[in-house]
Amino acid sequence: MSTPAVLIDHVTKRFSGHTAVKDLSFTVPAGGIFGLLGPNGAGKSTTIRMIMDILEPDEGRISLFGSAASSRDLSARVGFLPEERGLYKKMKILEHLAFLGEVKGMRVSDAKSKASKWLDRLGLADWGQKKVEDLSKGMQQKVQFAGALIHDPELVILDEPFSGLDPVNLQVMKDVVVEIARSGRTVLFSTHIMEQAERMCDRIVIIARGEKVVDGTVTDVKAGFGNRNIALTFSSGKEAAERVMADRALTAKVDDYGASAEVSLADGATSQQLLIALVNAGVGLARFEVVEPSLQAIFIAKVGNAGVAPANAEAA
Amino acid sequence: MNKIFAIIRREFIARARTRAFLITTLLLPVFMVVVSVVPALMMRGGDRTTLIGVVDGTTDGFGTSVESGLTAETLSSKPGATKRYDVRRISAAGRVDAVRDSLVALTGLNSSNHRETLDGVLVLADSTLRTGDAEYLGTNTSGLESMAMLEGSLSKAMRQTRLAKSGIDPAVLKDALRSADLKTTKVSGGRATGESGAASFIIGYFMAFVLYISVVIYGQQTMMSVIEEKTSRIMEVLASSVRPFQMLLGKVLGVGSVGLLQMAIWGATVYTVTSQRGRIAGLIGVSPDAMQQMPIPSMSPGLLAVFLAYFILGFLLYGALYAAIGSMCNSTQDAQQYVAVLTPLLMISFFATFAIFKDPTGGIGVPMSIIPFFSQLAMPVRWSLAAVPPGQLVLSLGLGLFALFGVTWVAARIYRTGILMYGKKPSFAEVFRWLLVK
Repeated sequence: MSTPAVLIDHVTKRFSGHTAVKDLSFTVPAGGIFGLLGPNGAGKSTTIRMIMDILEPDEGRISLFGSAASSRDLSARVGFLPEERGLYKKMKILEHLAFLGEVKGMRVSDAKSKASKWLDRLGLADWGQKKVEDLSKGMQQKVQFAGALIHDPELVILDEPFSGLDPVNLQVMKDVVVEIARSGRTVLFSTHIMEQAERMCDRIVIIARGEKVVDGTVTDVKAGFGNRNIALTFSSGKEAAERVMADRALTAKVDDYGASAEVSLADGATSQQLLIALVNAGVGLARFEVVEPSLQAIFIAKVGNAGVAPANAEAA
Repeated sequence: MNKIFAIIRREFIARARTRAFLITTLLLPVFMVVVSVVPALMMRGGDRTTLIGVVDGTTDGFGTSVESGLTAETLSSKPGATKRYDVRRISAAGRVDAVRDSLVALTGLNSSNHRETLDGVLVLADSTLRTGDAEYLGTNTSGLESMAMLEGSLSKAMRQTRLAKSGIDPAVLKDALRSADLKTTKVSGGRATGESGAASFIIGYFMAFVLYISVVIYGQQTMMSVIEEKTSRIMEVLASSVRPFQMLLGKVLGVGSVGLLQMAIWGATVYTVTSQRGRIAGLIGVSPDAMQQMPIPSMSPGLLAVFLAYFILGFLLYGALYAAIGSMCNSTQDAQQYVAVLTPLLMISFFATFAIFKDPTGGIGVPMSIIPFFSQLAMPVRWSLAAVPPGQLVLSLGLGLFALFGVTWVAARIYRTGILMYGKKPSFAEVFRWLLVK
């Protein structure tokens, strides 16, 4: 792989009284979609702000494209959607988009033509001369999204890009993100919704309370966690099935939903053994599926209560 | 550089395109014109030729000399000026009362129904020359100035006739009776300003007022614009692309250029109104002469340059500080506490101009026009009233620029930290600590 798009090297950031990011290291390879996951307050936004040079790390080093320059000096190559969205309310949409391009170093004429292209694409072509305050919230989100991408950045950093979107707009944004990755550029986005990350990301980092918990490609992370869950749906012989599932030699944990159940295998037991036991007991099976663990499950297992613990736990 | 221009342009357009800007920019010139033209229009009524009927009851030719005396009076001292009186003398020796009554009947009539109507009737008798008693019946008897003028003209004619009667050569007489004509010109600092005292005061006061108001208004606008960026959270996008110093500079220059445009429009209006007042007078049918008498503030190109230079200097000084205050706050209410630090400075600089009106070269005026934070009001006012030594102007501008660098440095440091601070407003101690961060 060539130089990573983002390199985070033993970065620590403290705010008065608490440590927001603690000795964090990871790299975002060039190309593809990278997910920065973590519960609320884990330090995702702080990390992103440090990458964007809005905050300076107290310790450690952050480098973009292998360059020693600050990301502000590289901002022509970086697009950024902050977690807190905001636009000038009184400005006209087209001018606003163009302005966002200009502060990234685009020429006025380029920025204007690019801005109208984006408005076309997002279905806002008729709104270019309207003021921002005349737009609905969803439309404003789209404008802001376009503002982060208007200068065709190599690296796009999106902080919680999909929060607060309706399903239609969500799909539009996802398509755009996937298209950027497909064109060989890099997308780094943060989210606390594991489902989104699971479907879109090539690689993920999970952080909790400012520390890295998981790092790797989605496939590797799941493989490393082990395929230890079986989903069952019963057509008959529910009582017999309950007896089999109660056998601690086979199962570690059972979520019984009545007509279906999800079983975690005990250490040393295999899915084959469970299937044989069920068939021998005369259980009618409509479904027997070895389930990949969801990122949600991995997240809960790895982060547990620690990530969700109140922030003052550390101070106490 | 490109980025700073983008911010300046955005700021400029966002402000200059508003209706408020258009209204305030147009309103002041309109106000100016009204203030200078309306009084001239008002005075036009008093400055017309008065038609007087003279009932001449004299037998020794005194009536004729009064007639010629009155006819010689003009509305102003300029050559070719309009006559002040139109005189109809009627010899009425022995039948004074009858003639008087018949003329009074023609006085003060509605001019649309009658071909000619008199404004007043002056009654002269033989005794008039001796006792000085004369009678005047007219529509304009309550006009104190008109009556004083008439009395003066009559007295002059009397003096002339009495002296001529005692055998003095008419040529010597004419020479001796020529009255004084006092032309007043304001001299200040050993130099004639070419303006009347009233006009100097008006222009000085007007400039001080406009400079004070504009620094406060545009300063506040800069501050609110920063607060808006903070509350709308657009700050993060900007902060990730543009250096805080560039943001500060772009913002202050953007708002400042709107102010400068407005000042330039106003300045140009004043300049045009004063340099073209003769033509304007013609347009509205006022004699250029009457217009010239008005204490309209006149603005020389030099004064205009000093005015604009000190507007720029003053606005940048205070604008940077207002922007820094904005960066520390999340609402306009929060900001008031910090603005209270700037207000006394501005107030002192405004009141200092009164000391300058009193004595432009005095012990308060001179230092005030040199010390930064005060000089942006004091120096233009002083310049408008008296000659300023070039050395003092250079010193004042130099110190101003020096202060500007210092203020910008402080403001940029506060701004850098402040723009990303949300939550409670910082104490002054905290702000001081921001200055020391590397």
